[in-house]
Amino acid sequence: MSSRDSAAGLAASATALVASVVGMVRAKLVALVTAPKRFAVMVQRAIYDVRTGKRSTWDVAKSVLMTLFGLAMVLVLLFPLFWITTASLAEGSRLFNTSGIFPDPSTYNLGAYRWVIFESDFFFVDGDWGYPQLVLGGGDGLVSFRWAGTETGPGAVFNSLYIVSVTLAAGFGMIVPAAYAFSRRQFVGRKRILYGYVLFTQIGAGLSIATLVALYSLFSTYGLTNNLFVLGLFYAAGAIPFNTWLLKTYMDNIPVSYEEAAMVDGASFLDTIREVILPLTKPGLAVVLIFVWLAGWNEFIIAQTLLRPENYPLSVELYNIATEGRFSTPWTRFAAFANLFALPVAIVYFAAQRSVEDGLSFGGMEG
Amino acid sequence: MASSQPGTGVSGLARLRSALPFSSRDWGLLLVAPGMILFSSFMLYPIFYLFYISLTDATFAGSVIGGGAELIGLANYAQLISDPQFRTSMGVTWLFVAVSLVVKVFLAVGIALLLNHVRVAGKRYMRAAVIVPLGFPGIFTITVWRGMFSDARYGVFNTILGRYNEFMSSLSAPQALLFDVPIGFLSGRWEAFFAYVTTEVWLAYPFMVIIIVSALQDVPKSLHEAAMVDGAGALQRFRTVTLPAIKGPVLFASILTAATSFQQFLIPWVFNQGGPSRQNELIIVYGYREAITFNQFGLSAAILIVGIGFVGLFMYAAVRYGGLAEGVGDE
Repeated sequence: MSSRDSAAGLAASATALVASVVGMVRAKLVALVTAPKRFAVMVQRAIYDVRTGKRSTWDVAKSVLMTLFGLAMVLVLLFPLFWITTASLAEGSRLFNTSGIFPDPSTYNLGAYRWVIFESDFFFVDGDWGYPQLVLGGGDGLVSFRWAGTETGPGAVFNSLYIVSVTLAAGFGMIVPAAYAFSRRQFVGRKRILYGYVLFTQIGAGLSIATLVALYSLFSTYGLTNNLFVLGLFYAAGAIPFNTWLLKTYMDNIPVSYEEAAMVDGASFLDTIREVILPLTKPGLAVVLIFVWLAGWNEFIIAQTLLRPENYPLSVELYNIATEGRFSTPWTRFAAFANLFALPVAIVYFAAQRSVEDGLSFGGMEG
Repeated sequence: MASSQPGTGVSGLARLRSALPFSSRDWGLLLVAPGMILFSSFMLYPIFYLFYISLTDATFAGSVIGGGAELIGLANYAQLISDPQFRTSMGVTWLFVAVSLVVKVFLAVGIALLLNHVRVAGKRYMRAAVIVPLGFPGIFTITVWRGMFSDARYGVFNTILGRYNEFMSSLSAPQALLFDVPIGFLSGRWEAFFAYVTTEVWLAYPFMVIIIVSALQDVPKSLHEAAMVDGAGALQRFRTVTLPAIKGPVLFASILTAATSFQQFLIPWVFNQGGPSRQNELIIVYGYREAITFNQFGLSAAILIVGIGFVGLFMYAAVRYGGLAEGVGDE
């Protein structure tokens, strides 16, 4: 098996992974769009059942009441998110004034989002976007493309994306093979390492803050502060135990007979990985993708301690907006910034909800 | 995978191999090793280093790095035992863990039962919606909660309480049922504690709901039907069918979320930095404070080592009694 072959295989499986995430988003959207129709059918059936005497009116009413109760509960639980979304639309009008909890809908505007995109450091420092430029006959071939005109340089989102790509690359490169080995191979120390990982599953952010004092000293000693690459590796390290464990559990549920059958048909070891294991673990991989992404995307205390301002990722910028004044936060701007920061992840997360549920229920299987 | 194949120099390699404590069937170890090394160097090594710092009189990062600190044995730990702030912090941390755990369990079981009920239409969508908090960054949600708990007269909760007061007065309810608004959610000790617990519960319930729902769905319908045929009421069915099914998973989730609550840093830090007057400093905040604000690196390291020790105990309990590592030993 040449290295180019396996590289191509890797690229293919990466594409497949992205495709499966996109597929999940699409399936969710379709389900959401068709939901009203299914709801209408349900109502019609209930009416029919009552007319024909199959169900009593009281029986239907109980269902309606329970559903309303469930809905009310969901609304109460999601109230903070609803509140902050309305707040993000109210740039210019004062929050926390006499007019009530929510800002006046007639004053809704996108000013806060405009501020995030064109004035904050979200995309470019001070929102100085610059413009794309075609260069003819430069050093990079006949026609090349460059981003020009931004005098202040790229902003926090690029730092965040850089950290996350390091975290993802390192994380996946180590988690997937290890999960496979734990699930399918016997080797010396397997049980003990696995126990160790399980012990550390729940110790993510908390542990890094606890060791912050030591981390800072170590990083300074080795001259690793203010290094986005090392920070990305650090987040990957924190994500390894939990995600390896999660993916291992996922792979355990794939019958070994599939691989044996492929082997009998003449597939090589790497073929079975590519054709059997990876396709069947796709939902698990998607969940790991989300969690590893979140590990690199959300953390800010370590980042704030180790990085200098020009390298701050979005999470630190968000924290800085939140604590601009000691107890006052520019709510509308904060909300708009936070929504742009969190929404892409939240959407993917929402779409992959089924897989997340399956993945997270790993420990509660006995019952 | 090339690295797992033996190279040239077979005879020497064979001798080396027979001397090693593992055989060629152990090559799976090679797949695990990179992750282990990365994890150990960024997570385990700092813990050991932290322990080392806790044995020194380091006062700031420079004295650790530059070697200006001296080993003073367990003096930092001795100081902790007599430090009233340590006792306050430990007490409030345990109280926080206990109170939020109880509320979490009841809330999550309630939500899970409701969103798994036959009579609730569209429960799958509702379930998708209620676990959304898990997908947002902590700094975002926690800051939002701080905004809602604002001390201001027109903060969200104060406004809601004001409306409630108006409503109750219009019913001419007794004065005892009214709230004294505005409540300083972030400036009073127990008010702040209440705000912490509420936020912690909100952050952690999705995880519990997921686990309980999946346990509920594993209960065969026939079991419920059989109980119904036997004339068991809703309460009795809950006790005899539902409860045994979710007991294990709830215990498991409780230990895990308790471990996370114990390490809660962001909520107190963002809300009011463990205030007022250091009364609500959860253990990690306390350790962080000592290092960052008071330049007591050695003492801070000792505090954090104690904290890590407790979390380790939690996780050990989870593995031992919660069946967390089930599946490690099978096959």
